[in-house]
Amino acid sequence: MNAPQVDLRPDRSTRGEADPTGRPVLRIEHLSKTFPGTRALDDVSLDVAPGEVHALMGQNGSGKSTLIKLLAAYHTADPGASAEMDGVPFDVGRSVPAGLRFVHQDLGLILELSAQDNLALHGGFARGFGGRVLWRQQEAETRRVLAAFDVDLDIHRPLAAATPVQRTVVAIAAALQGWEGGGVLVLDEPTAVLPHDEVERLFEVVTAVRRRGTSVLYVSHRMDEIFSLADRVTVLRGGRRVGTYDVASLDPRSLASTMVGDDVDPDFRAGVVERTDQPVTLEARGIRGKWLRGVDLEARAGEILGIAGLAGAGALELPYALAGKAGALARGELRLPGTSPDWHDVQHATGLDIPLVPADRQTEAVIAEFSVGENISLSALRTLGGRGRLSAKDEATLVRSWSERLGVVSAGPSAPISTLSGGNQQKVILARCLALDPQVLVLCEPTAGVDIGTRVSIYRIIADLAATGLTVVVASSDEGDLLALCTRILVLRDGVVAEELAADELTKSVLIRAIEGAEQ
Amino acid sequence: MSVKSEERAVTTTERSQTRPDAPGTAARWVSRLAFDKIGAVYVLLAIIAVFSFWVPETFPNLTTAKQILNANAVTALAALSVTIPLAARVFDLSFALNMTLCGVAVAHFVVDGVPLALAVVLGVLIGLVVGLINATVVVGMKIDSFIATLATGSLIQALITLVTNDTPISDVKLAGGFAKIGQTTTQGLILPVLYVAVVALGIWYLLEHTATGRRLYAVGFNPDAARLAGVKVARLQFLALVTSGVLAGSAGIVLASILGGGSPTAGTPYLLPGFAAVFLGATQLKNGRFNAGGTLIAVLLLGTGTTGLGLANAPQWSGALFVGIVLIAALTVTGLQRRTTLAARPAAPEGPTDQSSSTAATTQDGSA
Repeated sequence: MNAPQVDLRPDRSTRGEADPTGRPVLRIEHLSKTFPGTRALDDVSLDVAPGEVHALMGQNGSGKSTLIKLLAAYHTADPGASAEMDGVPFDVGRSVPAGLRFVHQDLGLILELSAQDNLALHGGFARGFGGRVLWRQQEAETRRVLAAFDVDLDIHRPLAAATPVQRTVVAIAAALQGWEGGGVLVLDEPTAVLPHDEVERLFEVVTAVRRRGTSVLYVSHRMDEIFSLADRVTVLRGGRRVGTYDVASLDPRSLASTMVGDDVDPDFRAGVVERTDQPVTLEARGIRGKWLRGVDLEARAGEILGIAGLAGAGALELPYALAGKAGALARGELRLPGTSPDWHDVQHATGLDIPLVPADRQTEAVIAEFSVGENISLSALRTLGGRGRLSAKDEATLVRSWSERLGVVSAGPSAPISTLSGGNQQKVILARCLALDPQVLVLCEPTAGVDIGTRVSIYRIIADLAATGLTVVVASSDEGDLLALCTRILVLRDGVVAEELAADELTKSVLIRAIEGAEQ
Repeated sequence: MSVKSEERAVTTTERSQTRPDAPGTAARWVSRLAFDKIGAVYVLLAIIAVFSFWVPETFPNLTTAKQILNANAVTALAALSVTIPLAARVFDLSFALNMTLCGVAVAHFVVDGVPLALAVVLGVLIGLVVGLINATVVVGMKIDSFIATLATGSLIQALITLVTNDTPISDVKLAGGFAKIGQTTTQGLILPVLYVAVVALGIWYLLEHTATGRRLYAVGFNPDAARLAGVKVARLQFLALVTSGVLAGSAGIVLASILGGGSPTAGTPYLLPGFAAVFLGATQLKNGRFNAGGTLIAVLLLGTGTTGLGLANAPQWSGALFVGIVLIAALTVTGLQRRTTLAARPAAPEGPTDQSSSTAATTQDGSA
C-alpha cells in the first residue's frame, strides 16, 4: 500500500459544521448541458454543506468536468437550472458568485513568475502613488497568505523551480485570496499531476482549507483519496447523478460499483481469446522514459494487451514509447518479429510504422482544419497514387472504405472534422491508424470523451480487428476499457510492471486494487 | 439493447445536422463562388469598376492591365517564395534580404566577368545556402522561426554590405544578357510574369496534388498530431525553408535584372507586401490554407488598387493606406467567419465530456 490511507477527517462528533442537514452553502438543482449529439449532463442536483469536503466522482465521460465548467461559467447551462450560494440565487453557467473559487487541473499559474507575482496577479498588487508597486507590503501580504498553508517556499523564485505540491498550494492560496472563511473551493483532480508521496501533503492543505470554514468540492476518480478526505460523495455516471452518499456508509467496493453502474454492461466483454499458439508480433525491452523505469513486454497476434496504472506510473507513457513516439527521454528497444528480427531503438522506430491512437484527441490526433477524409488519409498518403502525385481517386476509395468499415457518421469525406461528435472523431483517428494495414496497433485512452453508445461500438471494432490477427495494445486510465477489451493486463506501478493479470474472471475491484497497489 | 438505440438516436440527429441539401454540381459551384471563398475577386472587380469610372481615360485598358502585371511580378515571386514555409507555419523573415544578397552577388559576378549562366547558378546556390542556414537554425537548433530568421537576416545583411560596400553595383556589362532575364518583353508583358506563372503552378501542384503538400499543411495546423501520425515534421520544415531560400534568391536575381544592377537595398521593400499578399491569399480559395492561387489573387488586388490610385493622382500616402485597410478588412472578415462557424457548433472542437480534464494529465505523462 503506497497510497496514503490516513483518515484526516475530524471525528464525526466534532464535525458539527459539516452536518448535511444544515443549510447548504452551495445548492444546485436540475442542471443540464446538451452538446450536439450528446447530453453531457442531465438534470443533476448537488448541495455542499458548510465546511464539508464533498467529493465529486465518476469515470471519464461521466460529466464531472462539464459540471465544473458550468459552475465556472465556461459553458452555459441548458434552461431550467437553479442555483444558490449562501441562500442567494445566481445564474449558473452565466455568472460565478464571489464565494465560489476554482483550482483547475492545470492550476492556472504562470510558472515563469514567482509565487509572489502569481498571487498578486490573482489578488492585485499593493500599489502606492503613481501606480508604483509597494514591494515590501506585497511581500508581507504574500507571506501572510501562504502562512495559512505552512508551506516552505522561496516566494521570489519562479514557480517552475517549485515542487508540484508547492505549486498546487500556491494555486489554492491564489484562489482563496481575499475570501476569509465560508465559500466553496472547487479542486479539479488536484492529485492527477502530483507524485504519490506528495498526495498526503495536499490532503493536509485541504484540511487547512476546511479548518478556515471553507467547503471543498473535490473532483477525483481515485477511490483512496475519497476515503481519506471526504465527508460525502456525489457520484455521476453518464451525465446523471447516481446519488449522494455519506462516505462512512460506503466501502471501496460499493463505491466502485456505483461509479461503473450498468449503463454500459460492466460485464461487456469483447470476448477475445488469448491465443498462445499465435506468433509474437511485438517485443519491447528496457523501455524507460520520464516515468518508465524499465519495461519489457511481448504481445502475440490476435491479442489485446492492456496497460493499467495511475498517472505517474508510466501507463500512459508506455504506448507512446511502443509506437516510437515518446520524445527525447525515451530509451529502450522494439522489434516486430513478424517483419524482421532486428531490434530498433525507440528513438528511431518511426520506420516500424506502429500506429498510435493518442490520448488527447484534440491536441494530438485531430487536425481541426482538415476534412474527415484528409484526417483519415494522413498516415497512408504515400500509398495513394505514385510518382509524387497524390491520387484523389485512390484517396477517396481509401477514405470511403474505412469510413464504412468503422461506421463513421459524417456528412461525407469533405465535411470538416470539427462537425463530428467525439466518438466519430475517434473512429476517424482509428481509421487513420488502420489505413496502413498495420500488424500492431497501439491505443491510448481509446474512449476518452466518447459517449457510451459509441464506446461499445469502438470496443467491437477493436475486438473484430484482433480476431483478424491484429495485435492491439491498449493503455487506459478507464478500467472499463481494459476489462471490456483485454486478454491480459499489465499493471504498472512506479514505472515497472508490478503485476500481470489474466483478464478472464478479473473483476473491476481486483483491477483497481492492483492499480493502486493495495494488498489483497 | 439500450445502448444500441441510443447510438441510433445520436446517428440520426447528427445526420440531420450536418447533411446539406443535395450537393449537386450547382451547389458545388455556388460554394466555390461564395464570398468567403473568393471575396478578394469580388473586391478586385469592384475596384476595377470604381477606377473605370474615376479615371476612365487611363485605367480601363489593356496597357494598364499589362502594366499592373509587370509591376507586380516581383512582389508575386516574393510572396510565392514564403508560401511553402508558411503552409508549414514556419516564418522566413530573411527572404527579402536573401533577395538582395542573391541580386547583388550575381551582379557582382557578372561585372567580374563570370559567364552569365554560371553567375546565375551561383546566385541560386547562394539562395540555397541561405535556406540551409535558416533551416539549420530553425529546425536543427530549435529556435522559433520568427526570431531565428530575423537573426539570419542580420547575417545576410552583413554579407550584402561586404559585397557592395553599401553602394549600388552598376556597370555596362549588366546591360547585356543579365538585363534580358527580367527585361525581355513580349506582347507588352515582361518575362518575370511568365516566371510567376511557372512558380505558382509548381507550388499549386505541390500543395494540392502531392502527399508532401498535404503533410506540409498537417504540420502547419497541428505539428504534434502530424508527428504522432507518422509525418516527419522536422524534415518537412527543413525542406520548406530550403525551398523558400532558393525561390527568394531566384526572385532577387530577377529583381536585380529588372533594376539593371545590384542595389544593396533592392529586396527590403518586398518584405511587407510579400507577407501581406500571402496572408491575404490564405483567406482565399482554401479556407485559411496558404495557397498559390490565393496569393496571386491577393497580389493582383493590392497591385490593382495601388496602380489605380496612382493613375487617379491620389496622394502618395493613399497606396500604403489602401494595403493596410484591405489586409485588416480581409483578416477581420475571415476571422469573423471562423468564429461564427465555430459558434454554430460549440461542442465539436473541444468535445462534450470529460476528455479535456482526463487528458491534461495524460499529455503531461504521455508526451514527456
